[in-house]
Amino acid sequence: MVRSHAHIWFVAPAIFLMIVILLVPIGIAAVLSFTDYSLGNPGAEWVGLQNYERIFTRSTYEKMFIATFTYVGVVVPLTVGLGLGAALLIHSLNRFSDIYKTIYFLPVMAALLAMAIVWEFALHPTIGIVNSTLAQGCGTFLENWNWYARSCERTFPLWLTDKDYAIWTVAFIGVWQGFGFNMVLYLAGLTSIPRELYHAAEMDGARSAWDRFKLVTWPMLGPTTVFVVTISCIRSFQVFDTVEAFYPQGGGPSKSVYVMMFAIYEKAIQQNLMGIGAAITIIFLGFVMMLTLLQRWLVERRVHYA
Amino acid sequence: MATISLSGIAKSFGDTRVLNTIDLDVEDGEFLTLVGPSGCGKSTLLRIIAGLEAPSGGGVDIGGRDVTAVRPADRNLAMVFQSYALYPHLTVAENMMTPLKLRDLSFWERFPILGPVLARGKHRALRDQVDETAGVLKIDPLLDRKPGQLSGGQRQRAALGRAMVRKPVAFLMDEPLSNLDAALRVHMRAELAELHRALGTTFIYVTHDQAEALTMSDRMAVMMHGDILQLDNPRRVYGDPADLRVAEFVGSPKINVLPGDADSDGRLSFLGLPVKRRIAGSHGGISIGIRPEHLRLSGAGEGALSGIVRHVEHLGSDIFLHVDIADGAHRLVARATPAEAERISIADPVNVAQVDGAAMAFAAEGHRLRFSEFGAASRETPQMDKAVA
Repeated sequence: MVRSHAHIWFVAPAIFLMIVILLVPIGIAAVLSFTDYSLGNPGAEWVGLQNYERIFTRSTYEKMFIATFTYVGVVVPLTVGLGLGAALLIHSLNRFSDIYKTIYFLPVMAALLAMAIVWEFALHPTIGIVNSTLAQGCGTFLENWNWYARSCERTFPLWLTDKDYAIWTVAFIGVWQGFGFNMVLYLAGLTSIPRELYHAAEMDGARSAWDRFKLVTWPMLGPTTVFVVTISCIRSFQVFDTVEAFYPQGGGPSKSVYVMMFAIYEKAIQQNLMGIGAAITIIFLGFVMMLTLLQRWLVERRVHYA
Repeated sequence: MATISLSGIAKSFGDTRVLNTIDLDVEDGEFLTLVGPSGCGKSTLLRIIAGLEAPSGGGVDIGGRDVTAVRPADRNLAMVFQSYALYPHLTVAENMMTPLKLRDLSFWERFPILGPVLARGKHRALRDQVDETAGVLKIDPLLDRKPGQLSGGQRQRAALGRAMVRKPVAFLMDEPLSNLDAALRVHMRAELAELHRALGTTFIYVTHDQAEALTMSDRMAVMMHGDILQLDNPRRVYGDPADLRVAEFVGSPKINVLPGDADSDGRLSFLGLPVKRRIAGSHGGISIGIRPEHLRLSGAGEGALSGIVRHVEHLGSDIFLHVDIADGAHRLVARATPAEAERISIADPVNVAQVDGAAMAFAAEGHRLRFSEFGAASRETPQMDKAVA
């Protein structure tokens, strides 16, 4: 048999592009992370693990990790949970489900940068709609709540510029923006569950909605959930636009919103410290890689029933 | 163990009427088959019995209790679905355990990890029940596998096991064999009938395959367009159909239907041949039905139809000849033995004659016309019957 080399020509363009635009830049970043290179410098000093040592010892980067993991830790469970909840509710509707779908999906479609500006207005301490609405509640039963009473006495929080609130506010906006996307994924997952399984569950004596959810819905959504969680994690690690829009000066009050993507941007682009920026990038890639491997393992081991 | 009776069951989906006032009594321990072409409402009727579908009118009564408003989980019926509907994330043993757990254990006893510790005895008892059922169905080696790792036949057994394990008052089966290959289907047919005899529980079985209905059931209900046309034992449904549609649906190859005539005395004939039977009254547009096994090859002469063989179906023990008669205006299917048909090939001229007394007459509206017992025509038959015997 004559061996043809045609297959090389079929895969070559894809492999070439993958090497040039993905693997080589990652390799360069990895190399740069061991130097003190700056853009424009003719050369660079080899500094070994110094950049990494800084990242794991200096308090700025400790704040970076705290902010990033707080954000991921809040946004991922909430977007997944709310996405699933909204999908289940919409799936149970006979009418108006399209309207709800559109409403919940709108924030996903909107440009986050533009939405950040809208939120900035809404959360403005004096002219913002959020605090003025909250002020309406003063003098009512809501004052039984200590926090509310104290806020009425003094002032409602400066949502975006108080270091105790800033990261939670940004996370809230992340949830608001993100769960519609998960809802759509879950809706697709729900429609693919065979109806006969619910009938079988009913015949088997699953009387409550919880029993049916536990026996059919949740296991059958397993593959969707793994995908949704992975996507949500990666998207949360990547959060940048809201932080850049709210705090162009650098990471929010006391660097409490100093998330990883913003740190990379600030170090490598604004301060032209390529070495340290590359080192954060490599750590970031490490997290994403771990998530991806975990997803692959879960998909192959746990949720792939066929 | 219970009788199931349906009274005046009707069902419409929007403007589409699917079932028209069905009355049906299923006896305790009976194997009843609902058979009909697709879209006749048989599956809907089964789902109404199960409670998965609410009837538009009428009531369902199980074991003397009106269950029309009772939810499926509380009717104590078990159902085997066409797609088997096994839980894909659970092993066969866990699948079979599910109905037991949901019925016999409390919320906390079902709790993962904690439950088996709290109620170890109960869990072991359930496991024993599963093992026992698995033994009956011979699926013990499959208990630890997931449905995805099973073949179609094994899945079918697992689904059966899940239905059997909690000893329901009746089994409902919605075309459980239609996803199996032909050989396995024939095998499972016998096995299901045996299982029914062993369990002695009521079976209600839905199928579109008349062969399944004929081979397995104690009684079969032939359904069409939302009505039960005939409810009787398989022998009578086949040999004495009440309606032309029943006669055409049951039996393979299909019954031969020819236009017939009745003279003023009610003497029947078709294509100029006398049937040697008469009917009461006179009717127009009569159809004569003759099953393929009631036609035989004969010599030319009186009482024989001559035609040309157009197609030969060789089934091993039987050979079916498709014969064009009356210059191709009608086609008959006749059964022959391999010995008789040995010399016959396509395009050969043949003569076929009917076995006397086997023809059936149907009115234009489809219902059966019974022959009158006494008459000039019937007096001729005894000697002919002897000839056939």
